[in-house]
Amino acid sequence: MPVSNATAWGHFPDGRPLHRWTLRNARDTQIDVSDLGGTLLSWQTPDRHGRRGEVLLGHADASQYIDSNAYMGAIVGRWANRIRGGRFRLDGIDYKVDRNDGGNHLHGGHDGFHLHRWDVEPEGDDLVLRLVSPEGDGGFPGEVDVELRMRLEDDGTLDLRYEARTNAPTPLSLTAHPYFNLNDRRPDIRDHLIRIDADEFLAIDAGAIPTGREPVAGSAFDFREPAPIGARLHWPDPQLRLVGGFDHCYVPHATADDSLRVVAVVTEPSSGRRLTVETDRPGLQFYSGQKLTGQPGRHGESYGPFAGFALETQAFPDQVNGPDAEAAILRPGTVWRQHTRYRVDTL
Amino acid sequence: MAPHRIALLFNANKVYDRQVIAGIGHYLNSTRVEWDLFMEEDFRSRMRDIHQFRGDGVIADFDDPEAPEALRDLHIPVVAVGGSYHDPAAYPAGVPYIATDNPRLVRLAYDHLIEQGLSRFAFYGIPPHPGSRWAQEREHAFRAIVDEESVEGLVYEGSPTSAGGWGAAVEELVTWLAELPKPIGIIAVTDARARQLLQACVMGGFAVPEQIAIVGIDNDPMAQLLTRIPLTSVIQGAEEMGRTAAHLLHQMLRGIDCSSTRVLVPPVGINVQVSSRYQPMRSPHVMRASHYIRQYGCLGIKTEQVADYVGVSRTVLEEHFKRELKQTVHQVILKHKLDTACDLIANTDTPLADVALRCGFTSLQYMYAVFRREYDCTPRQYLDLHRKTAAT
Repeated sequence: MPVSNATAWGHFPDGRPLHRWTLRNARDTQIDVSDLGGTLLSWQTPDRHGRRGEVLLGHADASQYIDSNAYMGAIVGRWANRIRGGRFRLDGIDYKVDRNDGGNHLHGGHDGFHLHRWDVEPEGDDLVLRLVSPEGDGGFPGEVDVELRMRLEDDGTLDLRYEARTNAPTPLSLTAHPYFNLNDRRPDIRDHLIRIDADEFLAIDAGAIPTGREPVAGSAFDFREPAPIGARLHWPDPQLRLVGGFDHCYVPHATADDSLRVVAVVTEPSSGRRLTVETDRPGLQFYSGQKLTGQPGRHGESYGPFAGFALETQAFPDQVNGPDAEAAILRPGTVWRQHTRYRVDTL
Repeated sequence: MAPHRIALLFNANKVYDRQVIAGIGHYLNSTRVEWDLFMEEDFRSRMRDIHQFRGDGVIADFDDPEAPEALRDLHIPVVAVGGSYHDPAAYPAGVPYIATDNPRLVRLAYDHLIEQGLSRFAFYGIPPHPGSRWAQEREHAFRAIVDEESVEGLVYEGSPTSAGGWGAAVEELVTWLAELPKPIGIIAVTDARARQLLQACVMGGFAVPEQIAIVGIDNDPMAQLLTRIPLTSVIQGAEEMGRTAAHLLHQMLRGIDCSSTRVLVPPVGINVQVSSRYQPMRSPHVMRASHYIRQYGCLGIKTEQVADYVGVSRTVLEEHFKRELKQTVHQVILKHKLDTACDLIANTDTPLADVALRCGFTSLQYMYAVFRREYDCTPRQYLDLHRKTAAT
């Protein structure tokens, strides 16, 4: 269905107005998107009884999104996830980018894509979001043009196609950062069952920087068969204790041609809702939401730990400082593309 | 190094125990851990003999009241599997414990009945017995939920099942069912108990699910086979329990202390079948739509506009209409137009052409066609029969 026209949705502290658009489909699903950070504000969709409910966490208004440090629903860039020490070397030049997570860089820095105002326009069924990230944005080199096409399909899929171009070499990794809770009647995701199609994950150090690939077999990280998130949190595993839950990047099975594949499926027994994530990205960050405590909710409530979970499709954390660094670099004359699909339907 | 010798002490005659064991198997396959597994040939555990076991570890069903005592002096790693307890002191001390989360099982069944539109609930349990403390825990969970939500919840434990007492037990069950206010949703502590309920409903002539909606626990295929009305049932996370138990024993064999680890595993889902598909007379969607049709049904509205007004898709609205009224939205609109037309014809002296127009028929001919189809007469014949005012 065609995207709605813009409606006013708060403003920046300096007075610049912000807006909201609504995507609808023929099956009772509706998704609200803001030009602030390209944020997914709301996703309402039926449960197994046809009763429509909210499946995304969200703040109450624009000012809360601007003040938040949860990246709630936002499009994250220029570098999704962490860079050790906020440093990397590219073509013989050492760069220092914002260090906003302990001593590390996280999610684009102090003024990442999630705080930029995107240019948004509906084009038929698509919502097209564009952003120019200036040279030096967060400390990154090059001016980067990003275009993101969002479309809500009738089967409940939110299709996200990204394209980016640069005028100088730069690391680039973008992701959507929605927090899901498929049961709108219970503010806790620990009874959700998750399946992740990955044989390996990246073990991390205390700063959440990857230290190497580990097989999931025989560990709490093995979600090749669906398992309840909350029960796994009680497995005695030092990797879980490091960050109080799951905040790890999985290495889903690769395809020969880097095409789209299903990387994760989450189901919620009570509502009967199911989330399926497909992507062509190499990495899938699974965050179980343990640090959401105190984040303001949509209706004045305050979220507790494990109120929502995030599945972020992206490059590997700190990939720019590893052997695969070049694969995470965008160079002039080439086009960076990403295709990710989130689908919410019922069992 | 020789593989560790591990005893699995389960009575694998129920689907739950078999799934726990399957989960242990999945864990071993996924890790290529080699265990020399000991199980009794008939898959029944004999706790009393276990002290003779010369092995490296045990995973045991702690719902068996003999297990803690029998395993106490074994001096090898033991992982306990069983039901959860509301009283933390009820868990065995010093042993890692993997539990099926009884309150979550009951909660899932209860929420399902709520979603079906029921507002009265009952629980069919088992009389207290040392071997089925989990049943008391489920009953306790049910009482806690209805207390918390301030709804009335009736509990019946019935009699222990025995061949001799079966006839009398069923009669008592029928009597209990007869006295219940209806419609009502009943949670049965197991599928085996749910099957008895279904049987009693047939004997007592109670309609399932219209008068009595039933949800069991276990999703046991055998209970399904033995019931004529397919049974809705909560599916326990038994495989995950097995995986978790195997993982903990694996860690303990490496010298890691897991003695204080307790993992509660929630249900994996609910298999929704006919026994619980109770539907109240009116969903809010149908009520809103009917309200709209009563107001605007004669203005040529179509299904699409009704769906827009209600705020759901056409498909969803049609599903609700079909379920509750056994009619399509279009049929309900048409019925409204016909009712209005009949009323105008019988009680006013409006010319038939105007009746057609005022009732939203696109032409007089179309109204004629609909009348012939629906009433097997023409509007003129209807008028001749029913018009009460003096003919013009």
